[in-house]
Amino acid sequence: MSKVKKNLVHYQDLIIKIREFFYSRKVTEVKTPSLLFSPTTDVYIDSIELKVNRDISMSTDLYLHTSPELEMKRLLSKGSGDIFQICQVYRDNEYGSNNFNEFTMLEFYRIDFDMHSLIDEITDLLKVLGKTDAITKISYAQAFSEYGNIDILDADLQDLKKIANSLGLNSDYDWVEDLQTLLFVHLIEPKINQIPVCFIYDYPKEQSALAKIEGPIAHRFELYLNGLEVANGYEEIQSADEYRDRFNNELYKREKISKKQPIVDEEFLRDMKMGLPRCSGVAIGIERLFSTISL
Amino acid sequence: MNYSTSQFKNGLKLILDGNPCSIVNNEIVKPGKGQAFNRVKFKDLITGKTLEKTYKSGESLEGADVMELEMQYLYSDGEKWHFMEPESFEQYDLSEESMGSAIDYLVEQDICTVTLWNNNPITVVPPIQVILEVIDTDPGLKGDTAGTGGKPATLNTGVVVQVPLFVGIGDQVKVDTRTNEYSGRA
Repeated sequence: MSKVKKNLVHYQDLIIKIREFFYSRKVTEVKTPSLLFSPTTDVYIDSIELKVNRDISMSTDLYLHTSPELEMKRLLSKGSGDIFQICQVYRDNEYGSNNFNEFTMLEFYRIDFDMHSLIDEITDLLKVLGKTDAITKISYAQAFSEYGNIDILDADLQDLKKIANSLGLNSDYDWVEDLQTLLFVHLIEPKINQIPVCFIYDYPKEQSALAKIEGPIAHRFELYLNGLEVANGYEEIQSADEYRDRFNNELYKREKISKKQPIVDEEFLRDMKMGLPRCSGVAIGIERLFSTISL
Repeated sequence: MNYSTSQFKNGLKLILDGNPCSIVNNEIVKPGKGQAFNRVKFKDLITGKTLEKTYKSGESLEGADVMELEMQYLYSDGEKWHFMEPESFEQYDLSEESMGSAIDYLVEQDICTVTLWNNNPITVVPPIQVILEVIDTDPGLKGDTAGTGGKPATLNTGVVVQVPLFVGIGDQVKVDTRTNEYSGRA
């Protein structure tokens, strides 16, 4: 068998295992549009913009999805029940040995799951895919106290600036979450790259993204495989008002750093008025995950 | 001249905390929900220490005017060590501190690599292998199989190297300057 064929078959085997895993748990595979009318509002994620129908004088801007999240949540709000999707996603302004403008994402949502039950399910999935390493689970705050001796939930912008300065890093950041991320990348990631499978959970509320907030923390988690970020998941917020607030917050930040102001997806917010069922969801980078599973 | 993080690559020389440094490793990290960073490992070209820094992508640092030149070691006057660039015949001198461990290996006429920063020499790297003469060592006793089979020998630069028992005073030996190990008789 040629090397190419071997790799293709390996990839196919893993995809089949993923599908079988979800089919056996009665999770429905879905396919949502990848061409959208609204770009993402995420401050640090950029949609790729396309001009279509120019030659028939119906020129319109469309955007390649950066993740199938909102379209899948529309299905959930309409009663889809548990769903999963494997699709290509596209992001502008990505560069580096682990970043590209296109990658494959596995995204799934589980009704009535809290964050920890979803982490348990991902653990099961990793085992099915042949990743049998011991699982480490540590909260964001624990990671900072253990590897950086920093009380991250108690540190404000000024405290974090002082810490960054003491490490000889530029502390010229406007938001506490950016300094949290800087210190995570600088101090924590190089430590957790010794850990084969590491879930970091309960992010500071400033980094909630679209996760439920409880006190100082958000029920958001990430999966790191040898220090490489592979998955990002939440216990999902459920109401249209909460989604609007989170989007507006991202728009505000985009404005502050002079980035394009996307138009909020009102159709999505209309669907959310019905409410999202209580659920948790996660996005997993397939190429990054598969690169850690040997033939 | 300033360099932005997008121009960072291994070997690029930049000024960091006032010292010239060389990039040893440059990694782009883009957290899913956060901004992009460059996690960079530097070697300080003066102290030799490794530094790790993280920059937000788009930051820039001042470039360092650093050159590496092959030079011939001429002589030492006890305070300064003098070198010559063989093409231009231009002479440069280094202090004992800047010489570092190169002092242990250089004999006159040796060709080595001198790093210049703003045209001032800051470090010197001796050849990987040098040939030195043994000026003092205990005579190796026949049949002596105790220990590791080695003994200390003082060479003509003053450096002490472990040598096999059969090596005697006046012998020329090859020394690996990276490890300070004997690598054979010359």
